[in-house]
Amino acid sequence: MSQDDDAALLLAFQRGDEAAFRLLYERNARAMIAFCHRFVRDAARAEELAQDVFVKLYRVAGRYQPSARFKTFLYRVATNHCLNEVRRAEFTARAAGPVGEDQAPDLDALPSGAAGPHEQAVARSLEQAVVSLLGALPDKQRAAFVLCRFEGMSYEEIAETLETSVSAVKSLIHRATVSAASALAAFAPGGDEEVLS
Amino acid sequence: MNHVVDQLSALLDGALAPPARAAVEAHLAGCATCRAERDRLSGALSALARLPAAPEPSPYFSARLAARLAAEPPRGLLGRLAALRWRLALPAGVLAAAALAGLLVVRQQRGLELAAAAQLDLLAEYETVASVDDVETAEDAALIAALDTLDRGGTR
Repeated sequence: MSQDDDAALLLAFQRGDEAAFRLLYERNARAMIAFCHRFVRDAARAEELAQDVFVKLYRVAGRYQPSARFKTFLYRVATNHCLNEVRRAEFTARAAGPVGEDQAPDLDALPSGAAGPHEQAVARSLEQAVVSLLGALPDKQRAAFVLCRFEGMSYEEIAETLETSVSAVKSLIHRATVSAASALAAFAPGGDEEVLS
Repeated sequence: MNHVVDQLSALLDGALAPPARAAVEAHLAGCATCRAERDRLSGALSALARLPAAPEPSPYFSARLAARLAAEPPRGLLGRLAALRWRLALPAGVLAAAALAGLLVVRQQRGLELAAAAQLDLLAEYETVASVDDVETAEDAALIAALDTLDRGGTR
């Protein structure tokens, strides 16, 4: 099934087909949890956020116009919700604060046992560096960066999702990527990540 | 020489139109500063690609979401009307049953009253007949027989 199929499901739901909405969220649950996970870095919280997003989608489905791409419609709802969430003091503090027990990377999301201790340590450090990076980015940069780097959206799709211009998206992504280059230098090829083992 | 640093992310993302891309690549060929910056940004993207995968949905994700959606109010005007219909169904049923019971009671009461009125009419006619003290017609005889029956039923 394609994105158009998702749009068709949402339109069917608009006509009263509740089963279509269930199929819609089952098809998109994994991607939405992953997206929310980029904002909160906590598996359980990411699931809650993803559920919130689908509940919101359920409420605003009537506003969907067939001319819009389903993906951008869904991610607009999701981005707004996740940004609101990270604005809350609890998550802002957790993202920007020092590394602690609560901030440990989600172990469920780490590589399987096939990876050695060194790789797992590096993965945890990388995860933490990304948490700090995302927490330090301004909201719009963070949203554009996540949509681009983790969701693989085009600049045009991001512009539509964030309801801004393509040139603004280009600027947002570039500034965030420059920040990422500084934050993740140790993990880049030729970086000194070995000191983290 | 104007550097092209602010174009480099778009270059790496393949988001530049062909003429812009050609111009940036031409600049990079002769600018070590911009090449170094491109490599630095590219290194960050490589690092991001090594991030662990996001977690899988828990087995209960769909069931929990379904429960939350079931608690949502129905959507739109039609949905609200549908909900209203079901919310009103019980009280409306109770009202209808009460109205029916009331109607039956009234009809039963009215039946008793009509029967009583008929008996009073018969009694009035009986008095008329008795005052005449002479039963001449078959109709009067039938009336008296009916009153006798009624009287026996009432004294039983």
